[in-house]
Amino acid sequence: MSVHAVGRRWLARHSVAPSDQRSAMLLLTPMLLVLFAVAVFPVLYSFWTSLFDIHLTRMNSVSFVGLGNYVQTFRDPIFWAAVERTAWFTVVSVLAIMVIATLMALMLNQEFRGRRILSTALLIPWAIPYVVDGLMWKWIYDSGYGALNGLLLQLGVIGQYMVWLGDTHKTLALISNAFVWKEVPLATILLLVTMKSIPSDLYAAARVDGANLWSRFVHVTLPAMRPGFMLVMIYEAMMAVRHFDLFFILTEGGPADASHVLSWHIYVETFRNLSFGTGAAVAYVLALATFAMSYAIIRLLGKRL
Amino acid sequence: MSSSVVKRVALLAGSIVMLLYVLAPVAWLLSSSLQREADITAIPPHWIPHPPTLSSFKAIVAASSGTASDDGNAAFVPSTAQYLLPALRNSLVVAAAVVLLNLLVSVPAAYAMAKIRYIGRDLSVYFMLATRVIPDIALVVPFFLFVRKLGLLDSVGALIITYLAITVPFSVFMLLSYFESLPDELDKAARVDGCSRIQALLKVFLPLAVPSLVAVIMFTFLTSWNEFLFALMFTQTAASQTVPIIVASFTSDFTTSFSFINAAGVVAIVPPVIIAVVFERYIVSGLTAGAVKG
Amino acid sequence: MAQIEFQQVGKRYANGHVALDNLNLQIRDKEFLVLLGPSGCGKSTTLNMIAGLEEVTQGSLRFDGVEVNGLPAHRRDVAMVFQSYALYPHKNVYDNIAFGLRMRKYPQPEIDARVRAAARSLEIEHLLERRPGQLSGGQRQRVALGRAMVRQPAVFLMDEPLSNLDAALRVSMRASIKALHQSMQTTFVYVTHDQAEALTLADRIVVMRQGVVQQIGSPDDIYERPANKFVANFLGSPPINFIDGVLMQGERGLNFVRGDLSLALDDETRRLLAGCSGRAVSAGIRAEDVDEHGDSTDCSLTGDITSLLPVGSDQFIGLQCLGQSMFFRVGKERSCKVGERVTLSINRRRLHLFDQASGVNLKVRNA
Repeated sequence: MSVHAVGRRWLARHSVAPSDQRSAMLLLTPMLLVLFAVAVFPVLYSFWTSLFDIHLTRMNSVSFVGLGNYVQTFRDPIFWAAVERTAWFTVVSVLAIMVIATLMALMLNQEFRGRRILSTALLIPWAIPYVVDGLMWKWIYDSGYGALNGLLLQLGVIGQYMVWLGDTHKTLALISNAFVWKEVPLATILLLVTMKSIPSDLYAAARVDGANLWSRFVHVTLPAMRPGFMLVMIYEAMMAVRHFDLFFILTEGGPADASHVLSWHIYVETFRNLSFGTGAAVAYVLALATFAMSYAIIRLLGKRL
Repeated sequence: MSSSVVKRVALLAGSIVMLLYVLAPVAWLLSSSLQREADITAIPPHWIPHPPTLSSFKAIVAASSGTASDDGNAAFVPSTAQYLLPALRNSLVVAAAVVLLNLLVSVPAAYAMAKIRYIGRDLSVYFMLATRVIPDIALVVPFFLFVRKLGLLDSVGALIITYLAITVPFSVFMLLSYFESLPDELDKAARVDGCSRIQALLKVFLPLAVPSLVAVIMFTFLTSWNEFLFALMFTQTAASQTVPIIVASFTSDFTTSFSFINAAGVVAIVPPVIIAVVFERYIVSGLTAGAVKG
Repeated sequence: MAQIEFQQVGKRYANGHVALDNLNLQIRDKEFLVLLGPSGCGKSTTLNMIAGLEEVTQGSLRFDGVEVNGLPAHRRDVAMVFQSYALYPHKNVYDNIAFGLRMRKYPQPEIDARVRAAARSLEIEHLLERRPGQLSGGQRQRVALGRAMVRQPAVFLMDEPLSNLDAALRVSMRASIKALHQSMQTTFVYVTHDQAEALTLADRIVVMRQGVVQQIGSPDDIYERPANKFVANFLGSPPINFIDGVLMQGERGLNFVRGDLSLALDDETRRLLAGCSGRAVSAGIRAEDVDEHGDSTDCSLTGDITSLLPVGSDQFIGLQCLGQSMFFRVGKERSCKVGERVTLSINRRRLHLFDQASGVNLKVRNA
């Protein structure tokens, strides 16, 4: 039987029209080309790199080490410290984002004059690049002339100017604030969209049943929004775990490694220590951690309620 | 009734708080860019420009044309300042190219995934989404080596290709859910009326997908404009450096005046903010499948 | 010429679901064929196959003898009206109707002539500049008809086009569609789940269930001589009443027996079912096949009236009999009361007898 005939039988068995298959393949080709060349190849190559001992300074003495780079990574205390900082940063940021975005979405869900102004203003943090976001907050946090110091001084909260970013106890929290500020708009919009899809009949029924504002929130809004919450949480968690720009602009991993998170660790390993192999290995560990985290969130939120 | 008054007051208070939270930092950025250095380094700083001055912005323009600026602020202008306007041009070129290529690649793919039943459909959707799960950091090294081998290092071409790969999955995803919300029967009617699949896409679905297309253009433009990591890796000189890179270089230069940095920041955010504000309502419809009547 | 033939056509999906099983059907040129059945029976699948919108996985579909299995929809000479009309929202009515002709590169003057002629006959000429979003349901439906009409196709397909209209409009549109068929002299294939619609419109009806054809015939055939219980039950409003029982030889011949009830069959039936004594059967009595004045006491039902519904010149009686609820239709002359016990005599010539196990109509099978 010819290849042609076998192909036709296979298509028929899946009830796909040959002309449809052809059209689909034609329409998909550009995307597949782009993704294979520019996304798949680097991913695979990157993994391959992680299996070797590669240094940019000695590219002619590259040796295969298998999982050696991974083992070395897991034994490295700096790595684990970075993991801890990343975890703290992620948890705090995601929590803050979810709380603020929910409050904002609840408000925007109401009809009131000036709402349009508000939702337009909301887009500004989202639109600006992280670089400018970092620069802006760096200026606000500045220990010599920053607005934060100035404001607190004027309000009488502090007696004199303090160090902010330079204070290792505050560094991660301040970076988190800059991150949260820029991520909140998108989260708000996503949550708002979910909220809007809740039929108003449910609220009316709850009112008739005697539920007050808080009860309506707990028994109507929250349950209906569970998938939306989950989506936003997973997305923001992924963004937080891999975030790089602010750590570069604000603190470069410092001071004294206070903000030396996983993404910074990978950068240092790859572009300052020039050890491509271990850098790639850590990157892959991060990727796996991202997978695991998303899965955990799905399971966690899937079981409740 | 008092409860509705309470509600109104609460909403008003809430909106003020929200507005402050969202806008205050940016307002301070703007204000700082319009003041002299001495004013903003006062303790506490002068909140409102009094008088406002455009000297920092003038310094930016002057730096790009290579002439020394008038004010005597020259000592406080970073050495890379002259590259800011060229960087604007680079960012624009890259963003425009990525948007165009993105549409050419994403629209057909999204239509096929949404409306055609073909073997490998589920696989192609998962594959496309999976390419974005790996953090960008992990892709930098191979990308770097790849780009270097192609001799494209320090060219806008490298950025265009990279950003294309980054933005296509999300664009396809948005267009896909929008196309799926359009009735299947429209597609059937078009085919019975004599359209091949591709003609149905061009003549029927594309005109109907305008809100989603606008959203895709917007997201793609913003992503390209704001991207930092890959631009950092792939660009070395003003020939290809984009705005985020130049602005970042200012912050690491300790002699820079703050008003200048803030002015640069304002310049950097003008295009994205304008685009976001103008196309505001397409963001929501782009993120969700639109409803089509009729 | 537009003769359509299905030869052993089947449709099976990748997950194993069978939408069509061994369909053999010949659609004659110029006939009005209705595909009738409940949802999921395969009628829309069949229609989509003719249009080229669904792939034939087994068997052969032929137009005028030529196999068209792989031919894509845009190369077939069919026009289709959809349940939701599927009008192009961004085009006005004129462009909607003209679209198919433009795709096939007809010259502009001819397009204009055809579009206006169709619009005139459908009385929508004044709407040509409007968009679908500005039209009522009935108007949209006529635009959809117009779009199909101008193509003057070899085959006209309609997929439940009236189900989204309100009742009064539906009835008047049925008449229009029938008239359209007369004037266009084209093959019409029409899908519906509404049995009344099928009975009014069709030259022939194909009754389908879960992918299998139950019966093909004229409306009269299908109604008077249903091939099995399903067909008998599906057509007719209110639905036919079934009583399970046994055929038993009585003094004067074969009777239908259920407990104390014994219905004497007529001579023709007794002849046809001669060898079936002892067989378990379901008797089928249509609501209109009873008479409350009738005098035959050896073929009658007695029960208590549970409900009374006046309908025009008749009344519907709900009868509780033999532990079942049944519905019959009688004249209004005699006034009945709920709770009253009545005896209805059955028109024995119109009594249906179905094999209990297979559901087959024994009288039709043995004829």
